[in-house]
This record gives sequence, C-alpha cells and structure tokens, in this order.
Amino acid sequence: MNTYLLQLKRSPRAIAGLTILLLWIIAALIGPSLLPYTYTGMDMNNQMVGPGEAGHLLGTDALGRDVFSRIIYGSRSILTIALLTSLLSSIAGIIIGFTAGYFGGIVDTIFLRIMDILMAIPPLVLAMVVLGILGNSTIVGLTIIVSITYTPATARVARGALLTCKSSEYVDAARIRGESHLYIMFVEILPNTIGPVIVEITARFAYSIMMIASLGFLGVGLQPPTPDWGMMVIENKSLIRAAPWTVLYPSLAIASLVIAISLFSDFVSKVMINED
Amino acid sequence: MDFLKRFAKRLGFTLLTILAMSILIFFLVEIMPGDVAQTVLGQSATEESVAALRDRMGLDDPLHQRYLRWAGGFIRGDLGESLYMRGVQINTIFWRKVGHSVVLAFTALLFYVPLSILFGVFAGVKEGKAPDAIISFIGLATMALPEFVSGIILITVFAVGLEILPIASIIPIGENLWQNLDILVLPALSITFVMFGYVSRMQRSSMVSVMKADYIRAAILKGMPRKYVIFRHALKNALLPTITIIGMNMGWLFGGLIVVETLFGFPGLGSLTMSAIKTRDIPLIEACVLFITFIFVFATFITDMLYAFLNPRIRYKRGDV
Repeated sequence: MNTYLLQLKRSPRAIAGLTILLLWIIAALIGPSLLPYTYTGMDMNNQMVGPGEAGHLLGTDALGRDVFSRIIYGSRSILTIALLTSLLSSIAGIIIGFTAGYFGGIVDTIFLRIMDILMAIPPLVLAMVVLGILGNSTIVGLTIIVSITYTPATARVARGALLTCKSSEYVDAARIRGESHLYIMFVEILPNTIGPVIVEITARFAYSIMMIASLGFLGVGLQPPTPDWGMMVIENKSLIRAAPWTVLYPSLAIASLVIAISLFSDFVSKVMINED
Repeated sequence: MDFLKRFAKRLGFTLLTILAMSILIFFLVEIMPGDVAQTVLGQSATEESVAALRDRMGLDDPLHQRYLRWAGGFIRGDLGESLYMRGVQINTIFWRKVGHSVVLAFTALLFYVPLSILFGVFAGVKEGKAPDAIISFIGLATMALPEFVSGIILITVFAVGLEILPIASIIPIGENLWQNLDILVLPALSITFVMFGYVSRMQRSSMVSVMKADYIRAAILKGMPRKYVIFRHALKNALLPTITIIGMNMGWLFGGLIVVETLFGFPGLGSLTMSAIKTRDIPLIEACVLFITFIFVFATFITDMLYAFLNPRIRYKRGDV
C-alpha cells in the first residue's frame, strides 16, 4: 500500500486527477445542501443572465434556472450511475469470464463466440436503442442497460486475467486438496487477478461517465427536470450564441470529470502493470 | 493457402454475426411496448381501423414469419416503408444520408490518421522527454472527452468566437454536400479530437518497442541517418498495430457519428437513427442499427484480413490460423 502512495506522490498527473475527482465527489455529497437555489427554481426576473450577475455564479438558463446549481445537482446522478455501472459490469464480467475461462473447452468457445457477436454492435448504439425504446429512463434503468452493454468487454478482460493464473501451481494444489470450483475461482484465483480487475474498473468508470453524458445528450438519459449534464448541453445548444455559459459550463464539467478519472486510471494501470 | 483458409473462416463468422445481430435487433425492436398500428393511427383511431391496419401490415403473423419477411426484404435491398413518414420508402432517404456519413467519416479519417501517426512517432522517438509527456497528456485528455463536449468547445472557438465556420451542418434546400464542404470541418474535427488519443497512443507504444529492437540499434550504429532509420526501418513495423486500431475503431466511429451528427444537425446516418428512435419509427430503427452493425462487423473483418496480409509472420505461417 505504501509503495502505491509513494508512486502517487511522484505522479503529478495522478494527483491532479485524483484531486479533481475528490472535489466532484465532495460537491456531489454536500454541495446541494449548501446551494441557495434548487435545480428547478426559476428566477423569473433573471433569465439568461451572465455569470456573476444577479447572484448567479455561472449565470442562468432560458427559464432562469441557476446553471451552477444544476451542475452541482447533476454531478450526483452521473457519479452514482457511473460508479454503479463500472462495479456492476465488472462483477458480471468476472462471473461470466471466469466461468468460461476456468472450464475451458466447449463452454469457453461458446462464450467467446457469443461475446464476439455482442461486441459487434457499438455499446452506445445498443444502449441508445434500448433506452429509446423503453423510454423514461431512471437511474436504475440506465445503470442496468449500460452495465449490460459493457459486460462483453469486461468478461473478456476477466477471462484473460484468469487464463494467466489458471495453470499456476497454487491452483493445482487447491485442486488436489479437493477444493470446489467456486473456491478455486474466487478465493484462489481472484485475489491474484486483482491488478487487472482494478485497472478495468477505473477505466470503465471513465467510459461510463462518457457514455452516460452522451446518452443524456442524445435525450435518452434521465428525463427532465432532473439535471443531467449531457441533457443540459443539448437543451441549451440553440443558445450558444446568446447565452454560451448555459452550454459551455456543463460541457466543461463533463470534461473536467472524465479527464480527471482518465489521468487517475492511467496511473492505476501503470502501477498495476509494473507490479505484475 | 493458409491465408485463404483464414479468409473463409473469418468471412463465415462475419456473416454469422450479422445473422445473429439481425435476429437480436429484430426481436429487441419488436418487443417494444405499445401497439405499432395504434401508434400509426393515433389514440383516437377506432378498434376496427387498428385491426385492419394490423392485418394489412401483417402484424398478427407469427414472429418468425415477420422476421423472415423483414430479413428477406433486406437481402433483396428492400428496407421497407417508414412508419412515421407514411408511404415513404426507406430506400429513398437512407442511402443519401449514409453517403453523407461516409464522406464525414472519411474527412475525419483524413484529419486524424496522418496527425496521430506523426505525433505518435514523434512521442515514441522522444520517449520520456518533454514532447512525449505533452503529446501523451493531450491525447489522454482529448480521448476522454465525449464527442459533443469537444464539439461544443470547437463551436465556441471557431463558430461563435472566430466566426469562420458554420455553427450547424445544414445543407440548404436544392444544394448538395459538395457545395457545402465547410459544414464537414467542425464535425470531423470533433471526431479527430477523440480518435487522436487512441491512435497516437498506439503509435507511440509500438514505436517505443520497435525502437528498442536490435535491427534498429544496428541501423543506427552503422551510421544511417536517424530520419531514415525512423521512417524506413522502424515505422514500417510500428504501423501494423496502428492500422489495426484504426480499422477496429471504424465501426466505433460510426457509433460516435450519432452524437456528432446530433450536435451539428448533420444530415447523416447518425441523426437519422436518432430521429428514428425519437419518432419510434420501427422499420427505420431496424434499418439504421443493422446497417451500423454491418459496417462495424465488416470493418473488423477487413482489418483482420489486412493485418494478416501485411504481417508476413501470419501470411506465411503454416497450420495455426
């Protein structure tokens, strides 16, 4: 653990990424209770005022809603969904990928073919079609659909990680001891694949943010009036000349969050790969 | 011989994938809640007229019959009739939009491929030095941005700020894409933003590993000009993984087009797919999604073949294909 901290100290990029990510998490946790406005509160006398005017830090949109408040509220849903998605798709991927890799043979072949077929459709397109058809996306719905579209990829990573350990002596030893398949997979092998798994979860976290923001932008994410960063961008896109802050700040919020996570996940993958 | 065997095997699998995807897409869309005939006629329609339309559209036939009719039409090149735009054959609008998207995709390709390879090579050669750190950081940052975020930044700078490029990609009525080439620039740049990171990163890492090879050392030590070694000896081998990543991302690019086209209002396959979903136009959704899958699968197939063809170790390898 200490070596990780030491390496973190030596990587200014990772520190910057982690700091921004933590700031967003703190903003999501306690921000809304400190805000003077709610995300639906309309200031009818101050519609489309610029940043800093009339007590609105980042200005207001066409309905007089405070852009800053909406961004802070919006961080809650996107962080929640992205975190759940990266965890859920990784867990599902580990269960499926481990089962296929561990038993090998026909199970593995069928698994690989099915995953190849499922990966033939871009995750964003799949999620968009399903969410568009179902309509009225909720946090639970979004989490489940995005997780499903990511599972083929995570399952392949998990399978690959398992295969590198499968022929180790400690696995043979466990088998000879008469341990069950489940025990060998999850108690013996899983801890030894923790590096690639953590790398996958952090990378997935960044992908999920991108995907959820894009789905919101395409109008199949959370429904109004819930503040969603992607949705804020497309809602106000026509105002880009008249009130650029309504579009630019939500975009910058997305940018800062995904770049922060990528910087951190890049560091995680470097550390974990060096360690192996 | 082995190459042909690999070709046949991969082609077979590609066709199988498309078949499986077509079934998946069909059932996914067909189980969609709501009665299609009711949707078409509106809530005020009488029960008899809904029943009549269902009968005319063959909606009461068993699912497998409807699938076969749909897939059969597809193979014959008949994409069916749009639900939302009553009486419009999908074929009449579809291919023009696909053409626009293909032009956009290739414009983007023209931007990002040379750019990312050049910067990737540069970063790889300067491994660990300042230019490497800067290029990698820019790549990492732009790669992480969703297409619409980079698009908004580009619009803010070039359309709102400098006012040199159009804010939206609209083709005026009566004109075609070729008379409005300036509408391609910002959408293509938004895609370049995202792809630059992937491709330059891949190019960098393959360049780094190739530069450590013995034959490069030998070439440098025998006094060949560094530029010659980099571009003639190293790049030749270091391009292979890059070609793969570019090819593999072709299908992904078409997914990304949906976002970019929606942002700019670009009249292509992506915005068509989006409007099909918004209007719940089932035959149009099916046509668009199947076509995107088709491109994705064939791009992978062609990349795979190209890789095998360009890599003599696979081309001449016996047995294991």
